[in-house]
Amino acid sequence: MKPSGLIYLVGALFYFVVSTIYWFWTEEIVGTTAMSLTGFLALLTGFYVLFTARRVGVGPEDIETAEIADADPDYGFYSPGSWWPLPVAFSAAVIALGLIFAVWLLLLGVIALFISIGGWTMEYYRGPRLPEA
Amino acid sequence: MTTLDDRPVTEPTVQRTRRYSKGQAFVNWVTSTDHKTIGYMYLITSFIFFGLAGLMALGIRAELAQPGLQFVSNEQYNQLFTMHGTIMLFLFATPLFVGFGNVIMPLQIGAPDVAFPRLNMLGFWLFLFGGIIAALGFFTPGGAAAFGWFAYTPLSTETFSPGVGGDLWLLGLSLGGLSTILGSVNFITTILTMRAPGMTMFRTSIFTWTIFITSVLVLIAFPILAAALLGLFLDRNFGSLIFDPANGGAILWQHLFWFFGHPEVYIIALPFFGIASEILPVFSRKPIFGYKGLVYATMAIAALSVAVWAHHMYVTGAVSLSFFALTTMLIAVPTGVKFFNWIGTMWRGSISFETPMLWTIGFLTTFLIGGLTGVMLAAPAIDFHVSDSYFVVAHFHYTVFGTVVFMMFAGFYFWWPKMTGRMLDEKLGKFHFWLLFIGFHTTFLVQHWLGAEGMPRRYSDYLASDGFTTLNVVSSVGAAILGISTLPWLYNVYKTWRFAPKVTSDDPWGWGMSLEWATSCPPPRYNFVRIPRIRSERPAFDLHHPELGDDPNTNGQLAGKTH
Repeated sequence: MKPSGLIYLVGALFYFVVSTIYWFWTEEIVGTTAMSLTGFLALLTGFYVLFTARRVGVGPEDIETAEIADADPDYGFYSPGSWWPLPVAFSAAVIALGLIFAVWLLLLGVIALFISIGGWTMEYYRGPRLPEA
Repeated sequence: MTTLDDRPVTEPTVQRTRRYSKGQAFVNWVTSTDHKTIGYMYLITSFIFFGLAGLMALGIRAELAQPGLQFVSNEQYNQLFTMHGTIMLFLFATPLFVGFGNVIMPLQIGAPDVAFPRLNMLGFWLFLFGGIIAALGFFTPGGAAAFGWFAYTPLSTETFSPGVGGDLWLLGLSLGGLSTILGSVNFITTILTMRAPGMTMFRTSIFTWTIFITSVLVLIAFPILAAALLGLFLDRNFGSLIFDPANGGAILWQHLFWFFGHPEVYIIALPFFGIASEILPVFSRKPIFGYKGLVYATMAIAALSVAVWAHHMYVTGAVSLSFFALTTMLIAVPTGVKFFNWIGTMWRGSISFETPMLWTIGFLTTFLIGGLTGVMLAAPAIDFHVSDSYFVVAHFHYTVFGTVVFMMFAGFYFWWPKMTGRMLDEKLGKFHFWLLFIGFHTTFLVQHWLGAEGMPRRYSDYLASDGFTTLNVVSSVGAAILGISTLPWLYNVYKTWRFAPKVTSDDPWGWGMSLEWATSCPPPRYNFVRIPRIRSERPAFDLHHPELGDDPNTNGQLAGKTH
């Protein structure tokens, strides 16, 4: 992950340099703000990636001579399929329509969004298994 | 799931024997978290939007064929070109990038799925609902948005564009933009963390690189679009004065919109450059020429694309001409590097002209012309004369159609066996290509002259005495050919679906390079039964042609040194 993080830092440097040049060249405020904030975005991401890279160490995907078997056999949990993205997106669409057409529709959308986000979050959590009586 | 290449394994049967009923298949698709299925849904949906916006374009060309108003009113004409641009940019080209990225990228890095499968599906639904909401304006009394796809204020404010069409447009695109952002976060995380062992960043395919860099650009550009859209929505509905001309709001909107808008054209171009970089080596039987040069050129294009936005605003007189002329011309340098590398890949190669290669060469010629007129337009001295004329229309259709549509079809023909397990018909494909190629150039080449003669864009009508009629007739005839060229394609899809034999080999083209050609057609759920050892940026080629590549027994000592 280290090279990827460095790419972001190079990007941050580029945008800081360009926004400085831009400011002294044109004294135009919108572009200067947007480009320097782009630089900060790159800096933030680069810092986070490098920080994470340092924490997790070098993985087999970054070693040129790694074998496929070097991968962690426990690949993590993958949702085999889920209904929840549909209601979450649908509630978001209802909120958009509610903002345009009616307050009651907006409220309905917000409530539906909270319920569906709850469903999404708890989809694979069914509580601790109780000891069998 | 992943096993050593030389270890004897008992292969699990990946062929599903059970047939699903139509209802079950439908449920499987709408609840899917498989990146391939979601990718197919993206591709199909964006292609449908492409067809709709294409029909709108045919309406525009029919209206312009002769002086006078024949088919639509002025207001309907405004709606047509606004929604044509909006749908093509936001609901066709951008989701098409997410679609190809979803189907192909995890296969190319040897990942079982993307990092956030449910988020992936959420992105698709947001895109679909956002697209429908944006297009709903056609069914409202005031009609759809009619202020042009870049919605300049104050034209797009409540005063000059009343009605809910504009509001639906703003919020629909906000949802669509959110979907693109979520898709990009997913891609970046997947590429950073889920590559197969040995697949270092500088061994990933060029297509994967372009997906990665494009996703970074999305994260830069789309939040600014969202801010601008929601700000305008507040202005229209809640009386805020963000884009009030009295406070310089008109120029502020243009700055914000183009700070998004110019990266956007690279967001829809770079992934398709990536597809070209995948196809050229396969049909030239040579490794890609200058792999690292291509990667750095992609990064340079992406970085520079954020510093060129105001070349869309030369004629406002409110921006620095010299700064933006310089940066805009600079961006031609890395693009030239890419062309150099593509031609270097073909140079002295053993080239064969299967349909994907044909489309890619069509892209090279078309995009080259568009790129050259782009450099012309970068010079303010020229731009002032042809700004907002048909010259600009011709320019951006050559660049955007040249990349997105040509490389979309190249990608379809190239990866169709990987996606469906059947090869598309070559003869029909070539017929399709030539029909579309001739239709496209007939439509848009003459528009350069129309623009130079002074025909403005976005006008529904012109006078017979303007002298534009002949070239407009040529252009409209070309548009008809372009529209008809879709028919052999649809027939090809149908014929292949019904009658083509199943592909039996992993690599039907014979010289596939990247990792997607090392798994079955179509790949099983979670993509790989086994992954070959990865020692270069073309692991499938090393696997199928060990006599030509590096010897894997050298344990990677020679790997990566062949280009």
